[in-house]
Formats: sequence, structure tokens, C-alpha cells
Amino acid sequence: MRALVIDDSRTMRRIVAGALEDLGFSTVQAGDGQQALDLLESGEEVDLACIDWNMPVMDGLTFVTRVRANPAWRNITLMMVTTESEHGQIVRALAAGAHEYLIKPFTTDAIRDKLDLLGLVPAEEPV
Amino acid sequence: MTAAAVEQDQVFAIAEEVFAAMVDGEPGHLRPWEGDVPAPAEPLAAWVDVHGELAGRAAVATDVATAHALTRALLGMGADEPVGPEDLVDAFGEVANVVGGNVKALLPSQGTLGLPQVRSDLPAAPAGSLTHELRLDWRGRPLVVVVSLFQ
Repeated sequence: MRALVIDDSRTMRRIVAGALEDLGFSTVQAGDGQQALDLLESGEEVDLACIDWNMPVMDGLTFVTRVRANPAWRNITLMMVTTESEHGQIVRALAAGAHEYLIKPFTTDAIRDKLDLLGLVPAEEPV
Repeated sequence: MTAAAVEQDQVFAIAEEVFAAMVDGEPGHLRPWEGDVPAPAEPLAAWVDVHGELAGRAAVATDVATAHALTRALLGMGADEPVGPEDLVDAFGEVANVVGGNVKALLPSQGTLGLPQVRSDLPAAPAGSLTHELRLDWRGRPLVVVVSLFQ
């Protein structure tokens, strides 16, 4: 499976991408919502997008709305990964089409649990 | 902003959680600093502002050497691995960003979070602001978390 990690902080992109790669994902990164849209429009195919909320150029909520408006991208699972933790913000993101919401700070176990809920944790190889 | 909007204990709990989850991978490495905090030889501050009806600022201030150590911990780097200036600014700013985002959630009215800023000096809060200053000890290194609630 392939994941798109969208965050203006490259530190956070590295942390999230590292956690996803440990779970068996391949990853691609974008520094804001517009860069991420450009990647998708150029034909990049991903199963999951992990999206920060506050970013320059295009924020995460706008990105979610734009992805959900395009039927070609309906199979992409969208997970917000953000410091925005007020109930109202979570409701807004889910109403816009995000499937899950992970609040920073998070542990790698928390990422795994959220992906498990979404059915996106790759099955372990039998020993 | 109401003075009672954010309590000092809540700010400490946020800082503790941020360091346990993101920096150390386990709790117990951040505690109150005992005694006077030494003046940093080379200060560095990172902060985010909250804009809106209730406005404020969350900041983390320390010395450059501690900011390097924080960056190494965040990025899983070796103890002697050199930290580039871009990584330093980005990682240290992200610590302030996560602290600030969680402080914002304590406010009774919703605001918007600015992007992180990193500089050698923390700008003064407007006159009359209510300020919580937490002097902390991270692995024996002094670090200060400052939350200002603009009145």
C-alpha cells in the first residue's frame, strides 16, 4: 500500500512516513495541500493520505474537500494528523470527508490503531 | 481572553505529553526545574500565535545546544550526528506548534493557529497579558515553556 504524507513540517513528515514505512507502506510526501493535489493530478496513486490541518498555500481541510469532490479519488482514505483538537474542528474535518482523525502528539501505536480501525494495517507475513 | 482560560497545571500536562509521545517515546524525562534557570549562552525560542477573539502565544525557549538535542531526539538521530540549520528550525518549531495547538484547545472560544516562528529572542507579549512560565528540566537541560494569554 502507498501513503501520501502532507505536512509543512518536514520533521513531522519524516516521523509519520517512518511510522507508516514500519507498517509496510511505501510513502510519498508533500509540503502543503496544493503540492499534494499536484501529485495526485500527475497520476500518483495512493491508498491513504495523512493530512496536517494548518499549512501554507492550501490547508488540510481544503485538500480534503478537493479530494472528495473528485470521484476519481474516492478510494483514497483520508486521515487528518493535526494539533487541531477541538471537537468542532474534528466534526468539520469528518463532515468534509476525512475518515479518521489523529491528534498530535501521537505515538506510533496510535497511528497503528487508527489504521487498524480503517482496515489498512497490512497483514503480517506468516512465520 | 479570560485569565482562568488556561491553568499552569494544564500547560505542564501538555508539555509532558508532547515530550513523552514525540521526543522521548516514554514519560518521565520532563520535570519542573529546581532552582534558578541559568541564562542560555545562545538562546533560541520557537512559538506559535493563536489568533481570534481569544488570542495568545505558546512558546518554547532554551539554548541552541538543547534545541539540537531535541531535534536529534525527534528525528531519531545519533547523539553525535550533526543537525542542519533547516532541521533545527523545523523540528524546534514543530515542538512549539504541537504545544500551541493543544493549548488552543483549552480556550473557551475557537481561534486559528499561526505557523511556527523560530528566533533567538522571544517577542514580548502585549502589556497586560497573563503569562504562565514553566521552568522545566528535560534530561538535565533547562527549557522554558511560556503561554501568554493576550487580554
